[in-house]
Amino acid sequence: MDFEELLKEMRNSLLLLVREQYADFSKAGEDTVTQFLEDAREKLRKWTFLLAEELITPAEYEWLLKSQKDLFLMHTLYSAGISKIRLGIFKNKVINTITDVAIKALL
Amino acid sequence: MSIFLVSCEGLRTAAFDQYSYQKATEIKVEAANLLDSAVYPYAEHEQKVEKLREDLQKIIEYEKNKSYNDISLAMWQILSDEEKNLLAGLLKRWENQQQLSPAFVQESKAQVMEAINLIIKYEAAKDKTSKAQLQKLINTY
Repeated sequence: MDFEELLKEMRNSLLLLVREQYADFSKAGEDTVTQFLEDAREKLRKWTFLLAEELITPAEYEWLLKSQKDLFLMHTLYSAGISKIRLGIFKNKVINTITDVAIKALL
Repeated sequence: MSIFLVSCEGLRTAAFDQYSYQKATEIKVEAANLLDSAVYPYAEHEQKVEKLREDLQKIIEYEKNKSYNDISLAMWQILSDEEKNLLAGLLKRWENQQQLSPAFVQESKAQVMEAINLIIKYEAAKDKTSKAQLQKLINTY
């Protein structure tokens, strides 16, 4: 099996998924794709070995590949959530700074 | 001013919730123990599977009713969707197949655990928001 081709196909499929279903989080999602696929590389290699050794069936192999796609969605949501928290903290700091400056200028 | 307020609204995240964190860790342990049994006949473990499914339904109802909680809710819904290939999907496969192979259980369980870990890590990250707000309150008064 050509791993690079498989990873390339998965990358395109995941990017499309992010753009179509999670448009609000697409920036965080796209940033996650590369790292996620790098992490998935060893899993794909292992699952392909298990399939070749007939320790898992083709249906189980397919199930695992799909689980990786679903796990990717979870990673995308997680990354988006963390970005949102960081931006929220930044926003609070901006508001605090503006408030401090305004109060000092007025009092 | 209104544009600024609207954009700030979009950045709001539900505060850290000890109950959500605790339930997520409980579900992780419950799922880990149960999935180890998936190499045995489903019928012998049906009651425990039903209990786990109920726990998933309960946490989704709980998360659904929290404001600014769209991301945590979406994560729980993916985990609990029988049509997807994570926890609920794996339980459904066990039920349909009646018994799963050791190699498949080991690999699929790892996928499920990784997904639950993300939910737990995200809930824990919310703590930082709460801490930042508390720090502001302390500094103010």
